[in-house]
Amino acid sequence: MEYKVEAHRIMSISLGKIYNSRVQRGGIKLHKNLLVSLVLRSARQVYLSDYYSGACLNAAQSEREGNEWDITDSEREKFPPSTTECDRIESSEEPQQNERPEKEREYRENDDEVKSDQADCTSTLQQEQKQNSSLDSVAKVSSETPPETIDEPKESPSVSTVAESDSSPEADGESHQPPKTHVCSNRKRSAEKTESGDLPQKRTKVASSNAKEDEEAEEMDTSNVSNLITIFGSSFSGLLSKDGAKPESEAEDSGQICCDQMLKNLNPWSTAIVAF
Amino acid sequence: MAGVGGGNDFQWCFSQVKGAIDEDVAEADIISTVEFNYSGELLATGDKGGRVVIFQREQESKNRPLSRGEYNVYSTFQSHEPEFDYLKSLEIEEKINKIRWLPQQNAAHFLLSANDKTIKLWKISERDKRAEGYNLKDEDGRLRDQFRITTLRVPVLMPMDLMVEASPRRIFANAHTYHINSISVNSDYETYLSADDLRINLWHLEITDRSFNIVDIKPANMEELTEVITAAECHPHQCNVFVYSSSKGTIRLCDMRSAALCDRHSKFFEEPEDPSSRSFFSEIISSISDVKFSHSGRYMMTRDYLSVKVWDLNMENRPVETYQVHEYLRSKLCSLYENDCIFDKFECCWSGSDSAIMTGSYNNFFRMFDRNTRRDITLEASRENSKPRAMLKPRKVCTGGKRKKDEISVDSLDFNKKILHTAWHPKENVIAVAATNNLYIFQDKIN
Repeated sequence: MEYKVEAHRIMSISLGKIYNSRVQRGGIKLHKNLLVSLVLRSARQVYLSDYYSGACLNAAQSEREGNEWDITDSEREKFPPSTTECDRIESSEEPQQNERPEKEREYRENDDEVKSDQADCTSTLQQEQKQNSSLDSVAKVSSETPPETIDEPKESPSVSTVAESDSSPEADGESHQPPKTHVCSNRKRSAEKTESGDLPQKRTKVASSNAKEDEEAEEMDTSNVSNLITIFGSSFSGLLSKDGAKPESEAEDSGQICCDQMLKNLNPWSTAIVAF
Repeated sequence: MAGVGGGNDFQWCFSQVKGAIDEDVAEADIISTVEFNYSGELLATGDKGGRVVIFQREQESKNRPLSRGEYNVYSTFQSHEPEFDYLKSLEIEEKINKIRWLPQQNAAHFLLSANDKTIKLWKISERDKRAEGYNLKDEDGRLRDQFRITTLRVPVLMPMDLMVEASPRRIFANAHTYHINSISVNSDYETYLSADDLRINLWHLEITDRSFNIVDIKPANMEELTEVITAAECHPHQCNVFVYSSSKGTIRLCDMRSAALCDRHSKFFEEPEDPSSRSFFSEIISSISDVKFSHSGRYMMTRDYLSVKVWDLNMENRPVETYQVHEYLRSKLCSLYENDCIFDKFECCWSGSDSAIMTGSYNNFFRMFDRNTRRDITLEASRENSKPRAMLKPRKVCTGGKRKKDEISVDSLDFNKKILHTAWHPKENVIAVAATNNLYIFQDKIN
């Protein structure tokens, strides 16, 4: 689950950067904001696609974060050979091996055909199941044209929130195999990462506290679109209040401010660009 | 790269350092561009405070053999001031983004300096004589009483202390909606191009009230924006050819003879991405921060976040040479994204003979690559190595495992000390390296 937390963190940092760029001297820098929005979009897609917990995603994810996580050769062997296909833009008819988190329309295709990992991540499993069931409806919303990138981050925590409110019958409808060791490898990698320096240590600390906060945020009940905004706001404030160490407080503060900004302005990035 | 004889081995020695020693760096003093003129006699720097400082090389004389052509301040002037765009409620920074010299055609020197929105043509001229003996006014300029003028005299030119004056001769304004990132003087010495994030304009040096738009990549709907222009340069010999690089890691070569609007490229240079190295930040690190033609005009060099690539203009599908600048940073991209270092725009430059290339890195390190021997060296610009003519010791970054003596580990690198701007003398092995607010000049011992 660390990659989801990582993606969430990167998203909040990116939003903070976009917000701060508006008050920077010299005006908004188009190039930097474009790059930040690309990172934001990638992180969002990873965040939303967490039910791709099958081998393909982990492989794709590990390749994407490969150098961040110091994959050893033995771990790499566990990944299916079709990992390189995962990163290609084209979506595939084959759901299990070739799911590509980058394309939103795949959310619709791959609902029922997800492999999840070993049962020692039961909470993960439950979250994924619930997210699967609701992802279809959200995917329709989120699979609108890419430009609406700002709308989508709002929906990402809401996905999990809406998911939580769905009852288990939908989850039962899913077929999930026992998770493989991939998630465990994720955890192994995160442990390795802690040893390798201060910043990675910080990251893991945040990851563990954020994971708790994610779950707590997801417990909140929502049922309509107007509450999505509130949920997004509270999930950020959840990060601020519950994270004792506050290693990322600056990013989160700006995330909070940015989130408020977004509440007022549904499409700040587009507005910022169009303002040119 | 130490060695005797044998073509391209350099032994770089400290020559000079300019700038304040103070640890507290004023933002306005941060150097934002460095450029030698065509002869190498003059070296110009621009800073974030909008000032231009020009250094001139001392003539080597037998009287002072040890000075070996040192650069001393020749002229300092305020090129750009902060402005305010009232329509958009935006402040326009006075930071000098680029300086480009014009070739010298008479006693005066001309250069173009650009901030985010405006380009100015400056004339730098020397005055060492003064006219004395005017009829109508005194020596201090006051008008003489008319009834005191009884004779007519011819003013005489008298020598005076050398004064270097800089005066703005042309101001090219209001042509860029976005931030100017490049200017480049054409080989016809009559025109130049200026590039911002989405457009490239062609100017005539004599005409300030209009310019031709030659590239426009702004989409009809800004929400569909996927890439921006990051750098542009005119070909050194063919006045109809120019290139521009993009944030997607591609370079387009355009021929101005083919169409008035060069939206369709003549050549498209792109290296296929290695899918195994994809990460959240792949797009950022593939963005090209600088593009430079070789002096020969046969090659061009591009700098992205982690590497420098040399392209043969005749081959579009991949570069002919790739040099890793600081590959050890690939595993740190997330941290570098957080502290904004991943957005740093490093420049690169060719040696006069095109045999070597140079670019900057962090911790005040800069890297040099010899294209013939394929050897590379890492050097540091620091006050500690600043004894006159002291030879620079190669530095090494330890990427893992046991750190040897004299090596520095990746985690100890100071990411606030970045070398973004470097310049190489067009004819000799003299280099200028800008380290925040200090300018270092190094010379090759053999030179």
